[in-house]
Amino acid sequence: MRLKIDPLKCVRCGLCEVACSLNRDSVLTPMTSSIMLHVDDKANYFGLVLKTGGSSVVLARPEGTSSGQQAGSSGGPGAKPILLREVCDLCEGSPRCALICPTLCITVVD
Amino acid sequence: MYLRNGKIGIFDLASKELVEEEFVEGSSWKRMSTISIADDLASKHGEDSLILGTGVLTGSFVPSSCAGIARGPSGSDGLPRLMPIMGFAGFELKLSGFDFIVVKGVSERPGYLWVRDGMIDLVSAEGLRHLDSWARTDKVRADQGDSKIQVIAGGAWCDSKHPQSQAIIDYWGGDDKSGIGAELGKKNLVAIAFRGMGELELAEPEGHFEDAILMMREHVVKLGANHGLASYSEVADRGDFKKLLHRNVGCYGCPFPCRSYLKISEDPKELRLVAKEPGYLHYDIPALRKAFEVGLDAKDATVALMKCAKAGAEAHSVLKWASEISSKVTLASVDEVLADPADAKRSRIEHPPGNFESSFGDTETYRTCLGMGLCPRYWAKVGFDMPEVSLFAKDLVGRTVPARDA
Repeated sequence: MRLKIDPLKCVRCGLCEVACSLNRDSVLTPMTSSIMLHVDDKANYFGLVLKTGGSSVVLARPEGTSSGQQAGSSGGPGAKPILLREVCDLCEGSPRCALICPTLCITVVD
Repeated sequence: MYLRNGKIGIFDLASKELVEEEFVEGSSWKRMSTISIADDLASKHGEDSLILGTGVLTGSFVPSSCAGIARGPSGSDGLPRLMPIMGFAGFELKLSGFDFIVVKGVSERPGYLWVRDGMIDLVSAEGLRHLDSWARTDKVRADQGDSKIQVIAGGAWCDSKHPQSQAIIDYWGGDDKSGIGAELGKKNLVAIAFRGMGELELAEPEGHFEDAILMMREHVVKLGANHGLASYSEVADRGDFKKLLHRNVGCYGCPFPCRSYLKISEDPKELRLVAKEPGYLHYDIPALRKAFEVGLDAKDATVALMKCAKAGAEAHSVLKWASEISSKVTLASVDEVLADPADAKRSRIEHPPGNFESSFGDTETYRTCLGMGLCPRYWAKVGFDMPEVSLFAKDLVGRTVPARDA
């Protein structure tokens, strides 16, 4: 099982980040999520970054989705660097981000 | 206390001192309303205070729970100025560690308030005074090292304290139809910025999550396909607007966005990050309607609203004045109005039509909805139902709150 992200369906509502943190810490915050919004407001450029391994990430950018390594020096989107975040554990079989995503941007596939 | 920080920050711009007060939630929806609480804080700390706050539901999973408010002293109509704070700014304000912030006095020198993680500082910003609202936002984010900092910025019109000025949230206009921008100018503030790593506790996280998903799915089915601003207003349902449409964007927690970004300086179909400032985010319905009314096409309307946002000027008013000084409104006539806020002051002052304020047919429902931290536009569209929303209370705040007390 894995998460499939269709970035063009994203409306940057941010619910995935908060749902992820809720599963981890039972509180509302985007700070401890494994999935992160990446936003450049002025250019309306936005997508999602999903931490899948130690330094492995899925970059769901508007121009396409790819897997890669997070650069060690990169802070990533937001105040808490990607490297300090937990790896996505798929919420033990029922990923919250996919459950709450209102546009089916994030879905679960086998 | 659930969904709250339990803290009010009272910042005196003259002394640069922060005093904290404990925040105690009321027992009814009416007493829990952001607007009622802000009124009480103004009575206590001075009517000339600028008050920022968030609703009890702000940042929850209740659909479109994105809203905060800014409250300023009474305008010419005798009513307190009230501005919804939409986008991600409301949620971020809550995560900054304060439920409410009271800004008192006047700063001796131009500065911006920097609110984060339970702290508030006045940062000297002499150099930002000469920048437009976009450049101010860029500078604050760059200086503080985080691109997700939410910035309520002023521009030249706000600095001039013009009643038709507009506070700009993260580059975009449409929230401030009451002249909160002028209150920034009066306090010698070029911006208010906030960011937080806060965490909000819920009484029953699992129950709330499940109930919210059910409600959101019902809404999504009921609302059907989303077309951004065109789903909310016929003003965006025209060919030249759709031709420039890049992507639609939601505020925090919104499954049915009303924000439509038009690209004007590159191909709207360009998905890569190429141009830095290729367009503008439309959600100001009355301003866009006015732009079309005075004869601008979608491209020039977008440029005009962008110019107004950069200047911190309320776009409907600017376009109205542009039509008074020119038989055919062009971007040059918009520039002419924007160039000198002092000159525009000589024109008759009228309140612009409401944007989010016009979501419902009545002011009371608007204030009830906004006061809870919910987007009035979304909830007017989907059908605001107090008993339905009240059902969330037990899982969110750990007690029932009767719907009839709204």
